Amino acid sequence: MGSPATAPVAAMSLRGLTKRFGATVAVAGVDLDIPTHSFYGVVGPNGAGKTTTLSMATGLLEPDTGTALIHGIDMWRHPAQAKPLVGVLPDGLHTFDRLTGGELISYAGLMRGLDKATVKQRRDDLLAALDLDNAGATLVTDFSAGMTKKISLACALVHAPRVLVLDEPFEAVDPVSAGAIRRILQEFVASGGTVVMSSHVMALVERLCDHVAVVGHGQILASGTLDEVRAGRDLEDRFVELVGDVSDQRDLSWLRQS
Amino acid sequence: MVATILKLKFTTVAHQLRREWWRALLLIGGAVWSLTLVPMVFWAQTWLGFETSDVRGTILVIFAAVCTAGWMVVPLLVTGLEDTLDPGRFATLGVDARRIAPGLIIAAFLTVPALFFMLVFTVLSGAWRYESGWTQAVAVVGGLLTVATMVLGARVAVAWSSRAVNERRTRVLLFLAIGLGVAVVGSVTWLVLRDGLESGLESTVPVLGEWLGRTPLGAGMQAPAVWAAGDAWGAVWRLLVVAGTAVLLALAWKDSIAHALVHPVHRGGGRQRRVDAVMAGAGENNSGWWRASGPMRAVRSRMLISWSTDARYIVAALGVVALPVVFFAILMPVLSLDPRWAFAAPLLLASSIGWGRHNDVALDSSGLWLDIVSGSRGRDIMMGRLQAVLIWAAPATGVAVLGVLVWSGRWADAPGLVGAAAGTLGATLGVSAVCAVVFPYRAPGPGENPFGAEVGSLGASLLAQVVSSLGMLVVLPLVTVPLVLALTVHSGWGWVALVTGVVIGALALVWGARVAGALYDRRSGRLIGAVT
Repeated sequence: MGSPATAPVAAMSLRGLTKRFGATVAVAGVDLDIPTHSFYGVVGPNGAGKTTTLSMATGLLEPDTGTALIHGIDMWRHPAQAKPLVGVLPDGLHTFDRLTGGELISYAGLMRGLDKATVKQRRDDLLAALDLDNAGATLVTDFSAGMTKKISLACALVHAPRVLVLDEPFEAVDPVSAGAIRRILQEFVASGGTVVMSSHVMALVERLCDHVAVVGHGQILASGTLDEVRAGRDLEDRFVELVGDVSDQRDLSWLRQS
Repeated sequence: MVATILKLKFTTVAHQLRREWWRALLLIGGAVWSLTLVPMVFWAQTWLGFETSDVRGTILVIFAAVCTAGWMVVPLLVTGLEDTLDPGRFATLGVDARRIAPGLIIAAFLTVPALFFMLVFTVLSGAWRYESGWTQAVAVVGGLLTVATMVLGARVAVAWSSRAVNERRTRVLLFLAIGLGVAVVGSVTWLVLRDGLESGLESTVPVLGEWLGRTPLGAGMQAPAVWAAGDAWGAVWRLLVVAGTAVLLALAWKDSIAHALVHPVHRGGGRQRRVDAVMAGAGENNSGWWRASGPMRAVRSRMLISWSTDARYIVAALGVVALPVVFFAILMPVLSLDPRWAFAAPLLLASSIGWGRHNDVALDSSGLWLDIVSGSRGRDIMMGRLQAVLIWAAPATGVAVLGVLVWSGRWADAPGLVGAAAGTLGATLGVSAVCAVVFPYRAPGPGENPFGAEVGSLGASLLAQVVSSLGMLVVLPLVTVPLVLALTVHSGWGWVALVTGVVIGALALVWGARVAGALYDRRSGRLIGAVT
């Protein structure tokens, strides 16, 4: 797929997204442009609204107000055109865990409308690439947390989307598999794809991403290229400065062993 | 620990009530309704007081046995057990079963139904007050011990059966137990009704009561009668039997708690499946309007895996036989209905299957996100689900139709029955498909207790159940009235029933899937929130 060279349309463009759960405002007006061909990190403290924002951008959660455009196509007005462009790895949701690993990838591929032969080949490729060969016949419910992440990632990749939206893709994944995933994602970006990834691990974001957005209290506190956001400092220090440190740094003296 | 657990229970309930105020109304409504029954219980107490102690004992024994059966069966079939204190939830706290068991047992007795039954059996024991003070004391002890076996028995029944359906080895045992239960109920009904209801009540029931009075089911209620007859030893060992049963049930439950603490239910038991069943169901060629599309086939294959391996689906598939069997084997002979009424049994089966699917989307919601992000596939998803149901439901209904025709010998009415059954199945499934998308309510997840009712969904589930039932009441006459006319007015109506049933059934099924699919796509951004 060739990315349009003349008029660069953002891979993902969020405008005024808000979401309220009862009395809690989870997302309070998020505006964000994610350039095509970028590896975009979304960081923020727990409960900042990262997952809610990404869910609204991928068609999983209807926003109260605002729009989410994928390569210029409105996710909520034209889902049938927008959804095929996106591969999604949600966080904190179960999967059809009574299927085996192989079946789950097949299912995801067939649901995306791929034909049988293509699904079969991609299933075997993905199982091999993510080191899940031996788990292809095991039920997903018997998978470890890291293996479940990997199989969900395979489901997000199977239809070769243009944008990958990954919520905590490296959580609970062992270093060897993490290396494999990193290579897959970097190659994907190098070939013209776009990755949007949320994470708590600043070192990982600094190492992988070229762009980053810091989310706090349901808003974008800073966004841009990695260097713009870092402003010449360590990302972690900048992050703490933006979102604020733990206010009560109490000493847990009773925890000391001697 | 007991106080901590009780406090935990009441705090949880209080939080639920604060979050969903209508639950408080239901709770109060249930309590008020229970209290309105109390005058009736006092009336029964007075009436029993006038009977001879033999008759009084027999009636109380039978009553207790029926109540016990209800306590065992109702949580399994209908409402689900209130699971605020599901022992599995204590697993991460690292506490010993011995420490939490007493609290859980006491909490089980502090529920509205348990308190109500304790009240009822205490009041009923007052029927013995004309005998002697000692007799009444025996009656109170016997009654309360019997209630204890009911409450504990219900917990053990749920714990064991959910364990049994989750383990393949014991699933066979569970089916055997169900078969045994049906056989016992059937033979008892047959015994009582062998010589007609009147003489059955006169001759068989006292014998039945005598025997039940020696089992834990009725011994507690028989004890005062035996005591009043002067057989003190007979009363004592009967009380001991009930007390022993209660202790055994408490130990069995404690054992179940210990098991639940170290066996998280979210596991597949190391099962393997070498063949990709989803791939096996995929078609080589998806062109042509008559062929199921790729996504539809994928959903169908996945649902067929659920129907054959997921405990929640297996329980649902087995549960549909309850209503027709009760109607055919118990209600029809008891009310001495005309054999033509048997034609209702296959229709009851078909509508049980159809109505049972009214929360299908929520029941299967663990990977809902995968379906939603795959595109606007509502119609494929809903049609695939319906096809997977039809694959077993159509033959099951067919067998019921054939069985009734063979039993009644009314082959001339076959077209009408076939039409009405097909129409009922299609219409109820269609209505259910729409309800499953519009009114989903939280359901137990895969691997969770298939008998559990998810806490906090009572209102939503009531709404969904009422609406789906009303929808079916509106549609069903269209397909059943011609059959009734065929059976009562002229057999020619049977052919009308065949045509209307098949056509309306097929239309309702297809339209149900289409409407549900369109709604699914429109509501896809709200579905996950509605079911989790």
